[in-house]
Amino acid sequence: MTPLAQLSLDITWDATLRNVILGSMILGLTSGVLGTFAVLRRQSLIGDALAHAALPGICIMFMITGTRSSELLLLGGALSGLVGTLVLLAVTRWSFVKQETALGLVLSVFFGFGILLLTRIQHSGNSAQSGLDRFIFGQAATILPRDVAVMGIVAAVAIGVVILLFKELKVVTFDPAFAASIGMRPDLLGVVLAGLLVLAVMIGLQTVGVILMVSLLIAPAVAARQWTTSLAGMVILSGIFGMASGVAGSVISSLVDRLPTGPMIVIAASIIVIFSLLLAPQRGVLATYRVRRSRARRFRAELALTDHHGVSRT
Amino acid sequence: MRIVAAGAALSTLLPFRAVDSARADDGKKRVVASTGQVGDLARIIGGEHVDVKALMGPGVDPHLFKASEGDIIDLIESDIIMYSGLHLEGGLGEVLEQASKRIAVSQVSDGVPVDQLIQPEDDAFDGNPDPHFWFDPTLWADAAGEAARALGELDPDHATDYLANLEVYTGQLNDLDAYAAEQFGQIPERSRILVTAHDAFGYLGRRYSLDVVGLQGISTATEAGVRDVQNIADLLVANEVRSIFVETSVPQRTIEAVQVASRDRGWEVAIGASLYSDAMGDDGTNEGTYLGMMKYDIDTIVAGLSGETPT
Amino acid sequence: MTQATLTNVQTVPPLAKSVIEVRDLTVAYNESPVLWDLDLDIEPGKATAIVGPNGAGKSTLLKAILGLVPIAAGATRVYGAHLDTVRNRVAYIPQRGTVDWDFPTTALDVVTMGRYGRIGWFRRPGKADRAIAEECLAKVGMSGFAKRQISQLSGGQQQRVFLARALAQEADLYLMDEPFVGVDAVTERAIVELLHAVRDAGNTVVAVHHDLESVPAYFDNVVLLNVRLVAAGPVASVFTEENLRRTYHAPANPIGADGTTTTVRAGSEMAPVKAMLR
Repeated sequence: MTPLAQLSLDITWDATLRNVILGSMILGLTSGVLGTFAVLRRQSLIGDALAHAALPGICIMFMITGTRSSELLLLGGALSGLVGTLVLLAVTRWSFVKQETALGLVLSVFFGFGILLLTRIQHSGNSAQSGLDRFIFGQAATILPRDVAVMGIVAAVAIGVVILLFKELKVVTFDPAFAASIGMRPDLLGVVLAGLLVLAVMIGLQTVGVILMVSLLIAPAVAARQWTTSLAGMVILSGIFGMASGVAGSVISSLVDRLPTGPMIVIAASIIVIFSLLLAPQRGVLATYRVRRSRARRFRAELALTDHHGVSRT
Repeated sequence: MRIVAAGAALSTLLPFRAVDSARADDGKKRVVASTGQVGDLARIIGGEHVDVKALMGPGVDPHLFKASEGDIIDLIESDIIMYSGLHLEGGLGEVLEQASKRIAVSQVSDGVPVDQLIQPEDDAFDGNPDPHFWFDPTLWADAAGEAARALGELDPDHATDYLANLEVYTGQLNDLDAYAAEQFGQIPERSRILVTAHDAFGYLGRRYSLDVVGLQGISTATEAGVRDVQNIADLLVANEVRSIFVETSVPQRTIEAVQVASRDRGWEVAIGASLYSDAMGDDGTNEGTYLGMMKYDIDTIVAGLSGETPT
Repeated sequence: MTQATLTNVQTVPPLAKSVIEVRDLTVAYNESPVLWDLDLDIEPGKATAIVGPNGAGKSTLLKAILGLVPIAAGATRVYGAHLDTVRNRVAYIPQRGTVDWDFPTTALDVVTMGRYGRIGWFRRPGKADRAIAEECLAKVGMSGFAKRQISQLSGGQQQRVFLARALAQEADLYLMDEPFVGVDAVTERAIVELLHAVRDAGNTVVAVHHDLESVPAYFDNVVLLNVRLVAAGPVASVFTEENLRRTYHAPANPIGADGTTTTVRAGSEMAPVKAMLR
């Protein structure tokens, strides 16, 4: 059997590959869609901040319940992630601290607090604690059917909200002051978006880990921006890029031994970004270079012409 | 960062050590042990002459453990620091190095003959030997020898007691070894495959002819690929392996993924009970000692692989 | 507000029907107030300029009227009511520099946003909305640019798109923040014509304005502002050398951080006044 035929057979019949492909595809789609808004709102690092802000919640939940039930720990993580986001939004709105600074602030303060709690737990003499710190390194290769189901629900909610509030999200992202003047609620919509991001990041944390989650939020959106002239186009394309990265990474890691799935997905997403930055028709590096060169050539030609005829221009 | 800071704290605090630690009034030697296993060993060999504190509590992953300020104080005020070695305590490297300049230090793995260590295949353990040697009780007996030697050197007055304790303990380890060999012998030969998410069991496998298959790569920090999960599922199905094992240090979902994969191939694999790998059980329980932990692991593996209901 | 503070403020008598009423308005972002105890009425059917030095609170005044900044004291009313009940009668054009022009959207799409307030939550703009947007784009002479990426428009074209978006709101009151900044002469003329057309159709226009020279030509009324209100009324009576000097000379900040009053703002801020009075 050819490798390709084997692959298509695998996708149909092999549960592992099917789960991993489905899971990372849905996650890529969700991240791509939500990431578009994060990137356009200049909050690219919000995923990172959220992931770090989750740590104290995970620790506190463990200290209270003593379980390693990932659902409960996730709930704790989601709660503290949400608190972190609200702090972030409040700091940005009510003080002169810039958004990027506030992101860094929330990220480091929450994570530092989390590490403190982790150290306490480490010394608490409870053997169930081990692996708690590794909670932040989920593995894409071990996506389970129930993960796929949860991801599907989150994706449906996120995409549903984006479709329902598309016009509102667009105007609030583009021109928040104008949006507020016509009665839209930039602050409320900011919280809605952040809430969706918290959901997606928590699911992503548990299943694929921090780094993959952060790059899935940024890379597809950045790549999509290169190719499209409308927000709807960017959202759709970013979702597609996210899905494609998920599928490509999973498939590649299923073809060769000892190729970790998560990093393969990141690499796939990065290749899409590099390709887009270089080759996109209007905004790509090559296109910009070509336009600049042809403009320079035209100017030189005109200059040569005027010099030759001794005609004074203007 | 933390390690550097800890190292710095250590070097600034060291000059005051003589003042701070008024000699133990009870005459006991203060031993600080890195892991629970080493702490257990020090208690057994040292007996009534030592006061042992283990830095890493139950459930702590020694690969990732980092010392807190309180740990540093404990280290400074000790008479001897005993640790497992072979880079098991990765995060303590610099602290131990600093401490060794002032305080007696014993790396119990020094007692193990070098040719007995499992040398790494490809890039495992950063090219260092597999540090989980205690899963071979005969090697643990070697380590006990080193512990007795180090304590005897520190405290020559009681050296004979330490050697006596060593002799008793070596006997117990030999019994454990015989028990393990007998137990593992009950498993059908081709099913003697131990799948865990952590490659801590290389020495156990070598000693008792088990094929040890790690899913998650060699250290707890590496990530698995789709192909790795599939390969292991294929292996389980082909050899009719009935159970796979999740030790306490590894996320359960990694193993669950393998279970799902083999179910898809028509073979039901049970998830065996948790094994102890790097860390031991809670203090005060049977599994909180080396002997108890080993017996628990042996019984659990045998029960799982021979198809009894996993405990 | 006390009578004592009122004495040195020259105000036209409140009109019977003000479009905007500002009463005792104080806005502060931190310790120092940006607007201090402001009373103001905007006359309907007129084009009014808000003039003052940098940091005088001109943009903040618009934002306070629109409820975009927290008010420390006082109140504002639009058409005699709370803003929420008359939002659809008000169009706001923020400063062009406050948005990301690299946002992936077209000129027509931005103009269509002018309809969003009337469409309401959750619903999509329809054919009628699109037709109005196209019409408004035509009014600002930008029909040919409907499908153009906004990042590829010149500064003047971007400002026209903003203007078209305001027109699409079909409002009665137009609040503009620096509509002439960074635009070419042709666009400036076009904007002024449009502004006058809007006014002549019975609407009210209020614009933050920087260029003192053009005030008499472009506007009917003027508000001279420097944290406090200096003067407000018809250009002919209020836009005097004396008032301008007071506007640009007055301490920007009535209460300094140390409690003393400051008189720093003379120097370069006076340059436009001098140029104009020459």
